[in-house]
Amino acid sequence: MNQSFNSLTEELRSVAQELLREGKVNMFIGFGQGTLTARTTPLFISKPDAAAALTWSPFCSNNLAGYLLDYRETNETIGVLVKGCDSRSIIRLLQDNQFPRSRLVVIGIPCAGLLDSEKVTLELGPQTEIGDVTDEDDNFLVSTTTGQHRFAKKDYLLPKCLECIDSNPVICDHFTGKKINIGEVNERFVEIKSLEALSPQERSRYWDGYFQNCLRCYACRNVCPACNCRECIFDQAGPDWVSKRNNLSENTAFQIIRALHVAGRCVDCGECDRVCPVNIPLRHLNQKVLKDIDELFDAPMPGTDLEQQPVLGHYCADDPDEFK
Amino acid sequence: MADSPLIPFIATITDIVDETSDVKTFQMVFDDPAVMEAFNNKPGQVAQLSVFGTGEATISITSSPTRNGILEFSVKNVGQLTTALHQLEIGSKVGIRGPYGNHFPYHSMQGKDLLFIGGGIGLAPLRSLIDFVLDASNRDQYGKVTILYGARSMDDLCFKRDLFERWCRLPDTEVLTTIDRPEDAWTGHVGFVPAYLEEINPTPENKIAITCGPPIMIKFVLQALEKMGYTDEQVITTLELKMKCGIGKCGRCNIGDKFVCVDGPVFSLDQIKAMPPEY
Amino acid sequence: MPVKFLTADKLQIFIDRLLASSTVFSPSNQPGNVIRYTQANKPEDICIDYVNSDISPKELFFPQTEELFSFDQTDEGIDLRVQTGYKPKVIFGMRACDVKALLTLDPVFNSQWPDPHYAKNRNETIIICLACDKALSTCFCNTFGIDPVAPEGADLVLISYGSGYIIEECSYTGRELRELYQDLLTQEYVHLEKIKEEKRKQLSEQFVHHVSPSKAKETMDNNFELPYWDEISRKCLGCGICTYVCPTCHCFDIFDYAPEETTGSRCRCWDSCMYGDFTKMAGGHNPRPTKKERVRNRFMHKIKYHLDRYGIEGCVGCGRCIVKCPVNMDITSIITDLGEVK
Repeated sequence: MNQSFNSLTEELRSVAQELLREGKVNMFIGFGQGTLTARTTPLFISKPDAAAALTWSPFCSNNLAGYLLDYRETNETIGVLVKGCDSRSIIRLLQDNQFPRSRLVVIGIPCAGLLDSEKVTLELGPQTEIGDVTDEDDNFLVSTTTGQHRFAKKDYLLPKCLECIDSNPVICDHFTGKKINIGEVNERFVEIKSLEALSPQERSRYWDGYFQNCLRCYACRNVCPACNCRECIFDQAGPDWVSKRNNLSENTAFQIIRALHVAGRCVDCGECDRVCPVNIPLRHLNQKVLKDIDELFDAPMPGTDLEQQPVLGHYCADDPDEFK
Repeated sequence: MADSPLIPFIATITDIVDETSDVKTFQMVFDDPAVMEAFNNKPGQVAQLSVFGTGEATISITSSPTRNGILEFSVKNVGQLTTALHQLEIGSKVGIRGPYGNHFPYHSMQGKDLLFIGGGIGLAPLRSLIDFVLDASNRDQYGKVTILYGARSMDDLCFKRDLFERWCRLPDTEVLTTIDRPEDAWTGHVGFVPAYLEEINPTPENKIAITCGPPIMIKFVLQALEKMGYTDEQVITTLELKMKCGIGKCGRCNIGDKFVCVDGPVFSLDQIKAMPPEY
Repeated sequence: MPVKFLTADKLQIFIDRLLASSTVFSPSNQPGNVIRYTQANKPEDICIDYVNSDISPKELFFPQTEELFSFDQTDEGIDLRVQTGYKPKVIFGMRACDVKALLTLDPVFNSQWPDPHYAKNRNETIIICLACDKALSTCFCNTFGIDPVAPEGADLVLISYGSGYIIEECSYTGRELRELYQDLLTQEYVHLEKIKEEKRKQLSEQFVHHVSPSKAKETMDNNFELPYWDEISRKCLGCGICTYVCPTCHCFDIFDYAPEETTGSRCRCWDSCMYGDFTKMAGGHNPRPTKKERVRNRFMHKIKYHLDRYGIEGCVGCGRCIVKCPVNMDITSIITDLGEVK
């Protein structure tokens, strides 16, 4: 399709500028240029002129939907830029009444996958500046100060993007660019199936190796739009359901409680996995839950349909299981 | 590791006074008299109180060091630790470490008239200095003592025995009390502390004002004092921030580059004005 | 000038003997390709091929969780027990920035009310450094005058050269340690200062950030309120990554762990000034109620408060917070931006 990201960026800037100029939003949340190669940073703009700082590229990995939670108590109308996966978070937030639809303007953008910035940086070198990027279906063509580089999607995309089910936003008020079809994607849950095939002892060893390094920095929780409790039990002064002591047992309890608590609200945006400073494969935990939801409830991915009742969030009288 | 300043000494609760519905004053005595001997607290300092199994909290020492052998802490029931403290009885064991922080500049206050302005539980830290100054061994070194104290209601007045039976009967000592709203049984002044202060209008000559109370009260008291002509050096207050270690390491009671636990809690108004407004 | 030299094939023997004689901690490769300092039991545990660890070795001196004492309440009274199991250890493979970070922490823990837990770890640890050969794009130790090939505060430094390492002793302890391995070392004649200068030059070409914290500090000295803090803090997630990977952050919480109520332990545990409840008082008042105040406090602490209080910089330019921040909050660009405030 040879879509240029620079041209999409231009379109996005004018959409944002227009929304701010007409007063349809007080704040626009998008992406700006980061300080490192292949990195972007969330950008908050409230003046039309500042729209020129917006950018769009396959390095815009953050799910910006979670920032809406910071504006729950304000009167501001917020415009937020979402990719397909992020847009599912919007739906789940609306379903849970975490943000009023009336103060929300969703700007959708098609996404053909996100490049793993670490891998790309390793390839390009840390001081390389990236210019335009072109989507060539199987590859991204990246223009840089050191020439053009082609990155095969199958090797350089974030794992979640290789299993993408929503390359276009499932909810939006303004669509930037043209809808895309990314074609065939990898089978979902392959890694989960291989984890399920392990013996309990082997599986425990697998997770113990990661959880012993958990710093309890709570980045996974804080980045997660599904973690929207007003007060998290891990912050409560007492009783101490999970102690602040950092050890394998408490860390495991924290991670498992969190995974189960966001069950039905996790939309597989993969942010917990991306932000973890000690590289715990947290997406595998959430995917196990998603796989169970898929198999046991025959329900679609949470956040896919605004009208459909959340899979673990409603009660029906003809439930095949007793409700005790 | 016995020399760790983070390890408390064991003490026993020897008396409990119900001040208000949610404030109790605990009298405590170290189990080892040598610990008390070495404790050497000064008016205005704080200590970390432990209820083992619940944790620690920073509480100002409300008794004067002239009260040999005992420590008193007035505690409002607001959090986890204070709730646990309130459930203890005479004879219960607690932990105490300290004393921490600076103290009221009682040396430079000598020869001056002292105006204490307190609100609610804010009288607790002032009480250590009031009793120090009013103690027979120190009394002649200070001028007139005026205590202006208010609370929301009669029930919320702390240290009623001190106010109405002890301090008010001492020579050259004036006790003025007020409550926010009228009550049938109350024959005294009604109104907020800052307003009462303006009514009395004490001249700043040769005076030091020492104030502690809720932030909103302090704010208006400081404004009133300024209006009356008090200089920033004449006004002393104590700050209360969340503290954990008490010894300038855990990092949470900083205001700019100052740690309230070691550089405070007592500050003059000119010192406070030089700090970022993060308290 | 004559230097002590350890050939690469002798390094293995050096490590074997070190492991046999001491408790050794070193960078190791953890699941998820995370480099963290752990106890090395066999030579393969030691990872030498790394630029900087993901988690700083601060945790070997100031562990994330540390028991201060245990308590046992009976009818007779309360019994407090203090653990005394501090073992002398050797750290193999520290970087200059991380050793400088210890010099930054020293006045916090060792000044008024010295902290024996930290002091014990500090006094009974021998530090063997590896001089840097490579810099990450996020490294900026040069900003703070740190010499990556001559770490201040180390006991012994290994400087890679030719087919091995030049061994430089920097303390009496380092000398004693070196003497134990005298039989493995050869004497070489090299121009050490020239070798170091060459390495410094190579490293400085790899440094991307060249910032001046003095200008930023000047801005901080004169401005507490700046609209900049409102803007920059919006993207902060309020997580603890920057503070937990930071080698100079020292905030902690103290709490009791007592599932049995009458017996338990008092622990201290890392805490983060980025958490919303860090300064929140029991009554609900919070002097730093929003991300703006918290972000400002952290950067003011790194650039201004620590320096004002202790006369030593609060940041060592290790760049971990830049690498790990999920929203690309970059201390070097904050230093630059604040330096430009008129």
